[in-house]
Amino acid sequence: MSAVWRAARAAVRRRRLQTTVIGIVVGLSSMLIVVGLALVGATFGPFDQAYTQQQGAHLVASFDGGKATGAALADSAHRSGVSAAAGPFGQATVEMTIAPDQPRMVMTVVGRDRPDTAVDKVHVWQGRWVAGPGEIVIDAEPTADPPSRLDTVTLGDGRTVKVVGFAYTVSHSAQAWVSSEEMRALRPTTQQMLYRFTAAATAAEISAGQAAVTAGMPAGALLGTQSYLTLRANAELSAGIFVPFLMIFGCFGLVVAVLIVANVISGAVVAGLRHIGVLKALGFTPNQVMAVYLTMVLLPTVAAAVLGTILGNVLAMTVLSSAFFESYGAGAFHVAPWVTITALLGVPVLVGLTALLSSVRARRLSAVEAISAGSAPRRGRGLLVQRWLGGTRLPRAVSLGVGLPLARPARSALTSAAVLLGVAGVTVAIGLSGSVTAYVDADTRADAVQVEVRPARGGPTLGDQADESMLRALPGAERVVARKELTMRWIGGPGPAEVRFYRGSDAGYEMLKGRWPTAAGEVAVSSRFLTQSGLALGGTFTLEGDGGRLPVRVVGEVLMGAAEPVLANWATLTRMAPGSRADAYEVKLAAGADDSAYVAAVTAGDPGLRARPTRVPGSVIAAIYSTITVLTLLLGAVAALGVFNTVVLNVRERRRDLGTLKSIGMTPRQVVLMMVTSMAALGLAGGLAGIPIGVVFQRYAMNAIAHAAQIVIPDHMLDLYSAPIVVLLVLAGAVIAAAGAFLPSRSAARLTIADALRTE
Amino acid sequence: MYGGRRPCTLCGMTEDKNVVRLQDVRKEYGDTTALDGVNLEIRAGEAVAVMGPSGCGKSTLLNMVAGLDRPTSGTVVVQGEDLGELNETRRALFRRHRIGMVFQFFNLLDDLPALDNVALAAQLVGTPARQARARALELLGELGVADRRNLYPATLSGGERQRVAVARALMNRPALLLADEPTGALDSRSGEQVMDLLLDLNQIGQTLLIVTHDQRLADRCASRVVELADGRVIRERALERTA
Ligand SMILES: Nc1ncnc2c1ncn2[C@@H]1O[C@H](COP(=O)(O)OP(=O)(O)OP(=O)(O)O)[C@@H](O)[C@H]1O
Ligand SMILES: [Mg+2]
Repeated sequence: MSAVWRAARAAVRRRRLQTTVIGIVVGLSSMLIVVGLALVGATFGPFDQAYTQQQGAHLVASFDGGKATGAALADSAHRSGVSAAAGPFGQATVEMTIAPDQPRMVMTVVGRDRPDTAVDKVHVWQGRWVAGPGEIVIDAEPTADPPSRLDTVTLGDGRTVKVVGFAYTVSHSAQAWVSSEEMRALRPTTQQMLYRFTAAATAAEISAGQAAVTAGMPAGALLGTQSYLTLRANAELSAGIFVPFLMIFGCFGLVVAVLIVANVISGAVVAGLRHIGVLKALGFTPNQVMAVYLTMVLLPTVAAAVLGTILGNVLAMTVLSSAFFESYGAGAFHVAPWVTITALLGVPVLVGLTALLSSVRARRLSAVEAISAGSAPRRGRGLLVQRWLGGTRLPRAVSLGVGLPLARPARSALTSAAVLLGVAGVTVAIGLSGSVTAYVDADTRADAVQVEVRPARGGPTLGDQADESMLRALPGAERVVARKELTMRWIGGPGPAEVRFYRGSDAGYEMLKGRWPTAAGEVAVSSRFLTQSGLALGGTFTLEGDGGRLPVRVVGEVLMGAAEPVLANWATLTRMAPGSRADAYEVKLAAGADDSAYVAAVTAGDPGLRARPTRVPGSVIAAIYSTITVLTLLLGAVAALGVFNTVVLNVRERRRDLGTLKSIGMTPRQVVLMMVTSMAALGLAGGLAGIPIGVVFQRYAMNAIAHAAQIVIPDHMLDLYSAPIVVLLVLAGAVIAAAGAFLPSRSAARLTIADALRTE
Repeated sequence: MYGGRRPCTLCGMTEDKNVVRLQDVRKEYGDTTALDGVNLEIRAGEAVAVMGPSGCGKSTLLNMVAGLDRPTSGTVVVQGEDLGELNETRRALFRRHRIGMVFQFFNLLDDLPALDNVALAAQLVGTPARQARARALELLGELGVADRRNLYPATLSGGERQRVAVARALMNRPALLLADEPTGALDSRSGEQVMDLLLDLNQIGQTLLIVTHDQRLADRCASRVVELADGRVIRERALERTA
């Protein structure tokens, strides 16, 4: 064994460059795998993760303090099926004014002395928790820039309390918290209990839990409940579009990393064939030879896997925290232990297996065959092509370079596979982010609505039509549509229907099929609405409101992501609720118009209106982009390293040829040209093959996303690959290859000829 | 392509009759002194043999003349060019146009047939393929291996390989042909053929610098023998050629 160890150590020391390349590729791949797996893990349930992290309540229950005694409530925590409980906490509905110029708001306030109760561990992300009377903590999703102006709040009775912190509850158990002492002053009539159940996966299980905790209480004691399944459904709907997206990209990165590690390792073994022959000639047994190779490869692998995993953890935490911080308020993101363990064990095992497979070949080779590997007479089509190339008009350095990959077809194939996957990755990244952006833009109607105007408290001073004309007349307005929302009964439907009536044009919705409703009794709905109701275009259903029933006909299918109201025009509203005034105006601004200037002008025009820009900060999208960018860069870097490795191997094998070429007058520039050409040709080939693979994958991914989120993505959002982009992608392959080839080519150009020719 | 200073080719070598002039050349590899103050001059048309025990610095000397390596100190002037003043690219261009090299182990490219190996030297200069191959064929014919033009190096005999290598070295009509043990890897019959070849070349005016262990090669081809020991020139003698 010690002979094996000594030979392996010597090999590592002698092949410093190769060892470094293995190390870097394994390190980067481990990072890629950690980020990829963490992504997969994270997207399996960011909501669930946030919920677990906060020990979120499965059931938030409000009890009538007069009917349910404190003892009964305390007792309910020990019923069977309840795994944890918190409360009772006093709960009151309090009117408060956040700022003097703002309307009064009604908030659910809970008296709680600690944020970290057994259930609903509230995440205090700014300031601190209440310490006594006169203080309040406001519930808000964590944001990068917390509202600094909020320092006091005026309660309905005129008292002022100090805002000491901001906190976030995934359970949505309250909108603000005060100390229990402060709460007593508010004379709460309601008591809040928070429960976690041992089984809470289905609505039935939640109901069973609810029955258990309320058993024995007088009728009417339970005022209201909120199930975590409802929250979860909402969260999933909004995250729906991103979850499969991130997951697929994570998996993709993983596969690429695996393939490239395989490439590098088998390259190392092929490069070591001669060395293997020498070892055999020295009397090493086949198994010992394999052991030398495995050790040689695993030494840098283990070191790099450890380092890469650590860096991957850091990277994943940085990238994913920002991705999920805002959308789920989960606080800092932590990479699950299984991800770290998988990367730490999986990568070396994988590398070991690859090395094992490649070294099986080494094991079988006879000493003589191995020693002569590389200088044996070659046969085959490659030579003919090289000969043909020699007769072309190409500069000789270029034609030699193009012919070079033919000498080692297997290695060349693996290298172009690396480039291919790199290009496919870039293709998928460009396509996916383009499609998602297009979809999100269409869904949020980013191009159609830039400002939304609603009546402020106290109501608008002008009439409906006058307001609309005023809004239209303000500078910067390009289009104004009026909107009225009503919750109506959907006869025979699973629940109420949110109906939006529009006055004016089509309001900028992306029509998937059919047309915008133009007459009374016509509606447009989302694809999911159609799927879930079993209706088709042209089908009818009945809506019921205060004004009676109205059968409506579906004339259009509209692109809608999370929210899915039924869309109708003003004539329908006139049938259902004559004389209604609009409760919102959607304003499209002319290109280049300043939304804040418009907002100010609205208030000046009618002080009873409040306008706000609809521009979303896009933090989630930005985070997703940064994730994709990081993954794409990692992919590109690993692919370039694959090329780097190949050129290093080629140069090492061809030292003698390079020396010969230089001795007959090949200039350093010609050497670089030759080596870079050899890889650029492969890169171009990889690029050409990678694009269709990337496109197919992008299609597949978008279909999966559409399927998971129950949405329809129109074709024009999928066909993002215009001719210039395709050309750029093909070039990306060549660039990846050339970048990887440049350094080793330059060192080949600097090779001292005398030394190169001395080898054997 | 080889522009810039080219005093010799333009003035017909009038300012310096020497093709090669080494002055006080030292070469050290770490602790080893491969060349220890060598002075040597070679005139046009001469055939000089460098002899000496293994490790005495013969190959190193040849590499200095070919511009394959730089001396630690001293100057190497070949055809009026001070190689110490040329950068890598200029030295490549210099080799291309002025130097032909023949090695003990041939150093042919395994992937190219004989003809293309020879043509390559001209193609690097930018000669079109057709023209380069025509001249290569002509040379192979003169060296008696034209019928081997489509064979790959691995299938040629040693002597044939060396003749292909000589053809490649002559491709760009070099002023100086360098040979490092050209018969070292050949059996005696092939060796003699190569010797005859070199002698013929010298007799039509080719300047030669041959490194060899082989007394017969020196006797047959060289007009002068330079003996090295421990990196120094210990003896120089003019020969009456036997052939
Ligand atoms: N690149 C190098 N690095 C280190 N030492 C070198 C190098 N090249 C040559 N040497 C040393 O310089 C000395 C001269 O070497 P050189 O190859 O010139 O000898 P030689 O006379 O050609 O020998 P031989 O007849 O065996 O070919 C030797 O001691 C050799 O070990
Ligand atoms: Mg030698």
